[in-house]
Amino acid sequence: MSLSKPVTGSLLSAPTVLYMAVFFIVPSLILFAYSFWSAASYQVVPDFVLKNYLGSLTSPLFWKVTFNAISIGLWTATITLILAIPVAYYLVYVARSQTILYLILLTWFSSYLVRIYAWRTLLGTNGVLNTVLLQLGIIDHPVGAFLFSSFAVTITLVHIYLPFCILLVVASLSEIKRDLIDAARDLGTSSIGAFCKVIAPNAANGLIGAFMLTFILVAGDYVTPQMLGGSSGQTTGLLIADQFRKTGNWPLGAAQAFLMFLVSLAIYFALLTAGRMSGLVVHRPRKKKEA
Amino acid sequence: MKAPTPIIEIRDGKKSFGSFVALENINLSIHEGEILTLLGPSGCGKTTLMRLIAGFEGLTSGTLRVSGEDVAAVPPERRPVNMVFQRYALFPHLDVFENVAFGLKVKGLAKSEITERVKRMLHIVQLESLANRYIDELSGGQCQRVALARALVNEPKVLLLDEPLAALDLKIRQHMLAEMKRIHAETGATFIYVTHDQDEAMILSDRVVLMEKGRIVQIDRPEDMYARPKSLFAAKFLGETNLFETAVADSGAQGTVAKTASGIGFLSRNGVGHKTGDKVVVSIRPESFSFANNDEGSSQKTQGQVEDVVFIGSRSFYTVRLDDQAKVRIQVQRNGRVKPPEPGSRATIYWDADNVVMLPQA
Ligand SMILES: Nc1ncnc2c1ncn2[C@@H]1O[C@H](COP(=O)(O)OP(=O)(O)OP(=O)(O)O)[C@@H](O)[C@H]1O
Ligand SMILES: [Mg+2]
Repeated sequence: MSLSKPVTGSLLSAPTVLYMAVFFIVPSLILFAYSFWSAASYQVVPDFVLKNYLGSLTSPLFWKVTFNAISIGLWTATITLILAIPVAYYLVYVARSQTILYLILLTWFSSYLVRIYAWRTLLGTNGVLNTVLLQLGIIDHPVGAFLFSSFAVTITLVHIYLPFCILLVVASLSEIKRDLIDAARDLGTSSIGAFCKVIAPNAANGLIGAFMLTFILVAGDYVTPQMLGGSSGQTTGLLIADQFRKTGNWPLGAAQAFLMFLVSLAIYFALLTAGRMSGLVVHRPRKKKEA
Repeated sequence: MKAPTPIIEIRDGKKSFGSFVALENINLSIHEGEILTLLGPSGCGKTTLMRLIAGFEGLTSGTLRVSGEDVAAVPPERRPVNMVFQRYALFPHLDVFENVAFGLKVKGLAKSEITERVKRMLHIVQLESLANRYIDELSGGQCQRVALARALVNEPKVLLLDEPLAALDLKIRQHMLAEMKRIHAETGATFIYVTHDQDEAMILSDRVVLMEKGRIVQIDRPEDMYARPKSLFAAKFLGETNLFETAVADSGAQGTVAKTASGIGFLSRNGVGHKTGDKVVVSIRPESFSFANNDEGSSQKTQGQVEDVVFIGSRSFYTVRLDDQAKVRIQVQRNGRVKPPEPGSRATIYWDADNVVMLPQA
């Protein structure tokens, strides 16, 4: 017995589609509906109001934390990607071994929270960083701003998401054969030139993907900002979480979640457009294969 | 007179990958302007040798000189060498034109010159009409021609070609062979060529380097290597041959005589240095046998039964079973002068002492 292609295709994808429908699309739709309801004294009232959206859009706090989230997201994604590329390059083209990759992934086995606490120890007023800087005479009194700031949040998030980003970059570089680097060098480019002229353009979609995925995860992270962000390092994620956990204003939280989603989308397209205009991302229409 | 400096010279070259020795005892001088072919079974180290010359790998020990200069510390981009890769290694993000133009652009040539040279090259490889195609829209043979054009357009001093015609059909292959000979004559570049195709090696090369398991076993002009293989491996690898297990019966000024266990004797003028009683393998090419005694007295002969005839165009291949049951393949040029025997009949076969090669047992 053989099944036609579309039938096989739908059978193979059915479990995923079903799962996504039940556990992602349905809740999202419910949340979307919520975002138009109203809340009064911890009660959610079915309604159709735009005040959740309008209120957020006109709230300076919302914009401040969103700006924070975006800037932490962009900084973290940028630093992570810049750090991930040489490591991934080394793993794919030089070491050609899986062991180091596994070691990098091993860091994920340690608890996220434990690592955040570890950073608190490192960055605190009596922490390692301050002690070292004091000893070196670079500063003359402990700097409190290392902790509870966007800076602390960013460096902690870089460390948390770096293995993830390395994995994504390794995946996209693995598609590009080593031969291409050899060919480029054979034709006169240096190894950095070969990376810029051959590897980067071919990996651009993957690299932008890695950047965006890191950005989205980081911008939505609310645990690290909560633990290390202090009052200046608050993000939209935290604000949204508070609507659900503390204020009990689910409709407002839902609306803010959708606004954040739109902002992320806008940044994604802005990046893609920038990539295309700079010629880094090659977008060419695929000719349809004639049957 | 002092010989000119070889363009490439490898002394005692050795290359290991971890504990695996890919190349060993490599001593090779390549003359400026020659076409040198690397020939050998899969995995014998041909590509590795090329990658060493191109600079993608470094020798584990030994020296590699280009124009007399040790290049151990010179990266690939600063060697006057271009390579056509076995697996093409074309740039998927660029179209055919841009692929070919890549090296010239890196060199920073004027746009008009780049365009002109790329167009000329695309004309030579017959790809003008596909200049704007991307690599994944090409056939294997078309890719191969782009790879060839991308290297040739730079007019390097040394061109490394790793099986550049393997994916082409006979007609375009012959065309490309002719083109490569022409480009070679025009540019005076040194070509180092890898092929599995003996005919290609014969047509193209000034010298053939025969390799086996990471070692060079013989370097010779193709016709000499064919006529005077220095080992059993060389005799078997290049062309077809008939082999006889023999022992040396006599060795004198006339030549060496060796006999099979059944008593067939072979006189050779090539087998110097063998002592009586030495076990040697006699190699005689199919075309060195004939059914007619056409030489004055120098011919040797034996008898057998004609078993089978295959006609291939102007040549016929005979299988003759000798009286000791050994089978011999004989190639006869059909010219009508001598009437060849019918299958099933008995025949006498003749050969000349000049064409008998005696080889040490492997
Ligand atoms: N980077 C490497 N690491 C380990 N072994 C290698 C490496 N490159 C080549 N080898 C080994 O070295 C040997 C020679 O390989 P090479 O590619 O030079 O063979 P080749 O003569 O070009 O063969 P073919 O005719 O099949 O192309 C092979 O056994 C191969 O497995
Ligand atoms: Mg090879």
